[in-house]
Amino acid sequence: MLALSCFWLLLGLLVGLLAVLAKFWPSSWGRKKWPAMLSIGALAAFCGGWLGTLLLGRFFASSVALWIAVLCVVVLPRLFVWVQQKHRSLFPRGTHSSK
Amino acid sequence: MPGKPGNRHNSTFGVVAARTALALLFGAGLFLSVTPAGRATARTAFLVAAVISASQPAPLNLLEEPVRHIQKTVPSRGGTVYLDIYEPATPAPPLSRALEGIVIIPGVGDNRNVPQLINLSLALAHVGIVVENITTPTLMHNDISAVDSDAVVQAFNFLSRWPGVGADRIGIGGFSGGGTLAYLAAADTRIRDRISFIVLFGAYFNAETVLRAYGQRAIIVDGKLVPWYPTQYPLQVLANVMSDGLPPLDGSLLVSAFIPGGKPLTSNKLAQMSPPAVAAYHLLEGDEPGRVHENMAALSPQLHALLNTLSPSSVINKVHAPIYLLHSRDDSSLPITESQAFAAALARIHRPYDFVEFGIFQHVEVATGHSLTQILGDALTLFRVLYKVLLPGS
Repeated sequence: MLALSCFWLLLGLLVGLLAVLAKFWPSSWGRKKWPAMLSIGALAAFCGGWLGTLLLGRFFASSVALWIAVLCVVVLPRLFVWVQQKHRSLFPRGTHSSK
Repeated sequence: MPGKPGNRHNSTFGVVAARTALALLFGAGLFLSVTPAGRATARTAFLVAAVISASQPAPLNLLEEPVRHIQKTVPSRGGTVYLDIYEPATPAPPLSRALEGIVIIPGVGDNRNVPQLINLSLALAHVGIVVENITTPTLMHNDISAVDSDAVVQAFNFLSRWPGVGADRIGIGGFSGGGTLAYLAAADTRIRDRISFIVLFGAYFNAETVLRAYGQRAIIVDGKLVPWYPTQYPLQVLANVMSDGLPPLDGSLLVSAFIPGGKPLTSNKLAQMSPPAVAAYHLLEGDEPGRVHENMAALSPQLHALLNTLSPSSVINKVHAPIYLLHSRDDSSLPITESQAFAAALARIHRPYDFVEFGIFQHVEVATGHSLTQILGDALTLFRVLYKVLLPGS
């Protein structure tokens, strides 16, 4: 499973790379886009692969890793931006304090 | 600073290409893992690659389920049945349905250690199918007996009780002479309504028409009689089969002529034999191609009955499962005309079947030295048949 896990990580990195080329990163990420997108892709593929193994078996795990990685690199950055905006609208600058 | 128009165009193209690639990867991953058609496609593609290359594709080894090999025996009317079971070593995952199973009769002789059979068994197990290869003492003695259809029934029942295997998801595969036992078992009322499919590869339909082809050393292709020369082994097997229907002395003389290294019988020895045994000898030896009709007529009623009980044609309408007929075009053990006749007979009685011909196999094993075009053509044909077999269980 170690080799397979490494394969999923590589697969995720490739998906993350494609997501950078596809400009799926939020403009606010700037220079952090490369490490962020590659990390999302790799982590999602890794988790997807293990989830696929548990639910569908090892033979189909890589397919699960693939589509979960793509889903995550497309959805997570948008979700991140949406959460940030929601957070700002709920707590405008200066109003968010620990008290 | 604004970029040049050409750079902007390239950049837009790159984005579109990357997005298209991601969309395709997402669709492919989802299709292959979630939908039954996709799962069947993935399993079939893996199997075809393993069968055509006669080995496990190295890059795909990574994806495979680990496999366990277990040997068992079960009793049957014809004697002990030897079972070689190949199954996924890990239990079935929660979202997958019960495992499929297949009982394989890999022909006459002891084929348990044949590399291509082991490769096929491993490949099937790697994609989640429990494989049960069977052989019997009769088969190991290069003979076929109709009583061994009970061995297939017992093996089928054994597999239907195997942990993780769905009792309604078991098929039977018969290779070469094993196809006869597969079909006879599939017609058995004890299991015929529980069999999900039958695959017959390089099998025969009627033992008498096989004997006729051996006698003529020719087959009819597109209405024309063309030369056809069988290899030695099927002649040996048929001699063993026919010796069971002859007096002991006749039987042993007939067998002696067709064992490896055996010599043609002299006229003195032929003079000692009964007319049916002499006719059987000439049919197998192929030395009287112009007298095939007379020699067939000279066979005793016992021999005709024996050949009939060893013919799928005798029980053709008693099988309920879908039938897949596969045959090599240049088969030199059992002529392709047998599967063609089988398919025609199934069509006449409106039974569900599929019939495909291959060029890259010699009898039931992948041969080397074929062109890429032929390999690809046969791979697609094999994919189409295996996909149909695997889809219901995916």
